[in-house]
Amino acid sequence: MRTSVIVTALGPDSHGLLASVATTVAEQNANVDDVSQTVSNRMFTMIMFVSFDETETTMAALKDALEATGERVGLQINVQHENIFKFMHRI
Amino acid sequence: MVFITEHEILETVSMIRSENLDVRAVTMGISLTDCAGRDPRSVAARAHAKIVQRAGRLVGVADEIEHKYGIPIVNKRVSLTPIAHVVGSDDPAAYVEVAHALDAAAEQIGIDFVGGFSCLVQKGFTRADSALIEAIPEAISGTQRVCSSVNVASTRAGINMDAVVRMADVLKSVSRRTAAEDCIGCAKIVVFCNVPEDNPFMAGAMHGSGEPEVSVNVAISGPGVVRNAVANHPEASLIELADLIKRTTFKITRVGELVAREASQMLGAQMGIIDLSLAPTPAVGDSIAEILESMGLGQVGAPGTTAALAMLNDAVKKGGTMATSSTGGLSGAFIPVSEDAAMAKAAADGVLSIEKLEAMTAVCSLGLDMIVVPGDIPRNALAGVIADVMAIGMINSKTTGARLIPAYGKTVGDWVTLGGLFGEAPVMAVSSAVNDVFMQRGGRIPAPLQSLTN
Repeated sequence: MRTSVIVTALGPDSHGLLASVATTVAEQNANVDDVSQTVSNRMFTMIMFVSFDETETTMAALKDALEATGERVGLQINVQHENIFKFMHRI
Repeated sequence: MVFITEHEILETVSMIRSENLDVRAVTMGISLTDCAGRDPRSVAARAHAKIVQRAGRLVGVADEIEHKYGIPIVNKRVSLTPIAHVVGSDDPAAYVEVAHALDAAAEQIGIDFVGGFSCLVQKGFTRADSALIEAIPEAISGTQRVCSSVNVASTRAGINMDAVVRMADVLKSVSRRTAAEDCIGCAKIVVFCNVPEDNPFMAGAMHGSGEPEVSVNVAISGPGVVRNAVANHPEASLIELADLIKRTTFKITRVGELVAREASQMLGAQMGIIDLSLAPTPAVGDSIAEILESMGLGQVGAPGTTAALAMLNDAVKKGGTMATSSTGGLSGAFIPVSEDAAMAKAAADGVLSIEKLEAMTAVCSLGLDMIVVPGDIPRNALAGVIADVMAIGMINSKTTGARLIPAYGKTVGDWVTLGGLFGEAPVMAVSSAVNDVFMQRGGRIPAPLQSLTN
């Protein structure tokens, strides 16, 4: 079964942040479906739509890996199933 | 695919990360009717086994949902058939024995509280009701996780004043027994008018007679989210403010709906209700008082507080009912003094009195909640305070509750620290005018005209 999650990352800007997150996603055999990022007042904000096959990785493994990356590069990274966003903002 | 904007995604993340948005409780209601009997030992064993069997996965499922959606689920609880309906004994010791079994089951499955050590006596006592009420002091002071509630009044039946007086005695006894822990036992006892039978919030949760075998009820929260939305619009008119609160509550409630659907499906239980209540915690920013202050009051308790609270409560319901078709429970803004740091401060500053809180309870839930009164308060004065709250519920056809804490050995101005989500609060003054003759008349205040709706 394919699972879609939304990864958000916030923190002070530095070189290679997007690359670090994308690399971790790839290492977990997950796919980047869409991504946007902005830097405003030296603050980095990224929203990444990620999907994966549950036979290849799990949400827990992806979350742990991305949180470890976030800690290493100084970003607050959240990984949440897309349904919470759909439910909260749409009927 | 549903299109979600960047703004919406970041708003959701910010609500959870910065504004204390959480699901306050996932409460599994379990019917114990098939555990009923006269022998307390076998009732206790059957109840323990059923709780463990049906709710054994509750904490694990809640943790899984929390992980999946990144939304904290603060409390996991179980509510039960009122125990007076389950134990057919007139011996208080039988109820104490069952309370210990419920406590042990709650500890075994890792939940915070188990509710339903309860009875409904608005019209009178059965022998079982009477024995359960007598057992409350020993049962509550001797257990950690058991919560008790007694419904003493309703719009259809009136107010059982004998029960009101007995509950005042119960509270004073529990206060004495748990004095070493700042009388925390009283925080686990609620006296109700028009008790809802599907309420997921403690201490008043029970699984009523009209409920299914097993259900999952969810209590939403999010005062911090509403407070920030209001604070960010200082120029908004009242109509605009009401719209803003409705939109915000809609979003909060949708999260509750998602969690309720998923939890009930995973636990093999019927989806129960979403309780549209704003429940504060002692954390800074997670406060109903701060919402009211953001609306423009200098401090909660100022003239206009009841009006502001009425508007807030109404907007919360309007936004919430758009988000779910399964509303229930208490569904209203809570005003528990000890659990809301800004509310406790207003009480300590002398801006917020019990009389003002009584007016506020007429326009929201839950009633006089988590209010600390002097330990030497006369029994009839305490009963009078309870009766006043019950009268507001009875006449207005709404739920009201009293969760009062007589602080043993303490007097007005002293502080009581209950810890955790229970918070801390100053001892508040109660009028010293006597009411003994009225309280000792006994019997029932008749059902009001509002009861004749057929």
